[in-house]
Amino acid sequence: MKRTTITLVGLATAASLAFTACGRDDDAGAGGEAQSTAIADGKAKGTIEVWAMGTEGEKLGDFVEEFEDANPDADVKVTAVPWEAAHDKISNAIAAGEGPDVSLIGTTWMGEFAEAGGLMPTPEGLVDEADFFPGAWQSTEVGGTSYGVPWYVETRVLYYRSDLAKKAGWDQAPTSWDDLKQFAEDLKSKGGAKYGLNLQPGQTGSWQSYLPFAWTDGATLTNDDGTEYTIDSPEMAEALDYYTSYFDDGLSMTRTLDPGELESGFADGSIGSFISGPWHAGLVEDAGVDESDYAVAPLPGKDDGMGTSFVGGGDLAVFKDTDNADGAWKFVQWLSEPDVQQEFYDEVGDLPAVQASWDTGELSTDPQLKVFGEQLKDAQSPPSVPTWEQVAASIDGLVEQASRGDLSGEDAVKQMQSEAKSIGTGL
Amino acid sequence: MSATAVHQDPTRRGQAVAGWILASPFVVLFLVFTAGPVLASLGMSFTDMRSTDLRHPFSVEFVGLANYVDLVQDPLFRKVTFNTLLYLVLGVPLTMGIALAVAVGLNGLSRSRGFFRVGFYLPVVTSIVAVSVVWKYILRDQGGLLNAALGWVGINGPAWLDSTSTALPSLVVMAAWRNFGTLMVIFLAGLQTVPREQVEAAEVDGASGWSRFRYITLPALRPVLLFGAVITGIGYLQFFEEAFVMTKGGPLDSTRSVTFFAFDQFGYGNYGYAAAASYLLFLAIVLLTFFQFRVLRTKD
Repeated sequence: MKRTTITLVGLATAASLAFTACGRDDDAGAGGEAQSTAIADGKAKGTIEVWAMGTEGEKLGDFVEEFEDANPDADVKVTAVPWEAAHDKISNAIAAGEGPDVSLIGTTWMGEFAEAGGLMPTPEGLVDEADFFPGAWQSTEVGGTSYGVPWYVETRVLYYRSDLAKKAGWDQAPTSWDDLKQFAEDLKSKGGAKYGLNLQPGQTGSWQSYLPFAWTDGATLTNDDGTEYTIDSPEMAEALDYYTSYFDDGLSMTRTLDPGELESGFADGSIGSFISGPWHAGLVEDAGVDESDYAVAPLPGKDDGMGTSFVGGGDLAVFKDTDNADGAWKFVQWLSEPDVQQEFYDEVGDLPAVQASWDTGELSTDPQLKVFGEQLKDAQSPPSVPTWEQVAASIDGLVEQASRGDLSGEDAVKQMQSEAKSIGTGL
Repeated sequence: MSATAVHQDPTRRGQAVAGWILASPFVVLFLVFTAGPVLASLGMSFTDMRSTDLRHPFSVEFVGLANYVDLVQDPLFRKVTFNTLLYLVLGVPLTMGIALAVAVGLNGLSRSRGFFRVGFYLPVVTSIVAVSVVWKYILRDQGGLLNAALGWVGINGPAWLDSTSTALPSLVVMAAWRNFGTLMVIFLAGLQTVPREQVEAAEVDGASGWSRFRYITLPALRPVLLFGAVITGIGYLQFFEEAFVMTKGGPLDSTRSVTFFAFDQFGYGNYGYAAAASYLLFLAIVLLTFFQFRVLRTKD
């Protein structure tokens, strides 16, 4: 008994000593890294391995033929990776230095993978930052260096039952916070809805519902160079109080909805409006809402005009360990050309991150899509820091406490700030 | 190899060598895939390793016991520890009680015992995720089976999984329902070992049913009960899937367990911190098992 204990302790000590062989050196990772040098002109050559998830992964393989025709010496190999496994697979690829050349990266992962030293800074002059929606470009920047190019985007807008709104005396969507409140109340009192506006009362992902209100109010989460959190601000508190007032006034359900409940509630008229992304158009129509009975509108500003929404989506990044950086970046460049972006939209339905793609075709004529295009001009990404997921979880928890009335907005954001501070930015 | 095994005059040494050769595939696999990772994670818990260090795992800082100190001071970790202990304290007696009651009941049956045994054992072999989803519908606020049943007798049931006071007990009840089948089978087997002569003799002496159970059956079942308490305790200390599927750890972290906490920390990329949390849980399991052996072992 004794002897085994001694052996175990000895082994553990040896194991931990192995870790102390040398300390952390601050050369790896993001923050103040220079952009890569510009790529050469000419055609792409060699094999370009690409990882993509979801529908993008399934469809991209056939889509790249055009690129291969234009670059006869290049061979693009696309591997479809399921979203569930993608994060770990990319982590492992970075750790082992054995990855693809290019990968689709979820916008909220950029900070972590760039800090791990796995991604190559975007070459100078590869694309023009101004071509993209500002919020989307923001997601590629970690510690002031850009590590990729936005590929597709999604943003959140107000979905509402236009037939119920008419009944309640609203011919158009609300355009200020006071209006939105009134709108939700009227949908409930005159439109026959049980809940005027459904908001998420906490739990995973509620930060995506709450932060747009804070951004609309002018709040920022970090200072300009992303080194310190600035969550504890009167704007954040005011936005949270406004957000939670919907639960206090009985305009939104105070419990988390089960899957499918939102869509069926929207269909039977018990939920008058909600805020979500482009995928919900298909979901509510599947649930039986007629296309003429609902509409989308940009989020209302605080006093007038348009508010700020959340922008998510996917970026394209090139791995540091690539042996074909030139070809990889040329491929990324090709995917961000406006006409290619538009073709990809036609193929998959992903909203283009390049603004020019919205000037022609269905994206410029479809009234519903135009709303998303409009909203994307005023939408923000969360800070691209490696610890974002953890900070987001802490915000989720405090939104939940505030929604239940256990905390005032002011106290909740104070606590968000102190928790975020102790988590740090990880840069 | 076989030549060594059928050696004419094997010395002890030769036999030992042969033994090691035969065992070597397992030993190598065990060292590489079990012992190695276990020790590596123990080492990791003394460093500040994060997911962003994956490319240079040996260039992390050694922080000694800092992760453990931080954990003990972390209010969320204290909360999840409390939740886990509450789950254990409520769950183990409840599960064992139901299992023992059902086992004694079934033991008295002569017919259709097999039918009931299969029925009660079914939840154990059903996928935990499927069970959790079904229970989620049973416990729903609006249109849930349980509240509908309560409604018939005029009780307005609460939203079981949406209140901080009822969410964890609801999960405990579900876990007891799901896990008592295993213990029931074990206890049934244990009941077969109760000496019949003693029970009959006691009956002749006029001992009541309760006294017979209390003074003959229970002492005979002691080792089986110990086994049941240990495996149930170890299982309940690691509860995770139920909360993961049904409540996502909510409302307000009231159903977040230590395992869930470690899972989250790994997800956030705090490898050192998560490893430390896992080792504290391991320590708790060791202590609990030790304690149960002390309390329930047969007194000679």
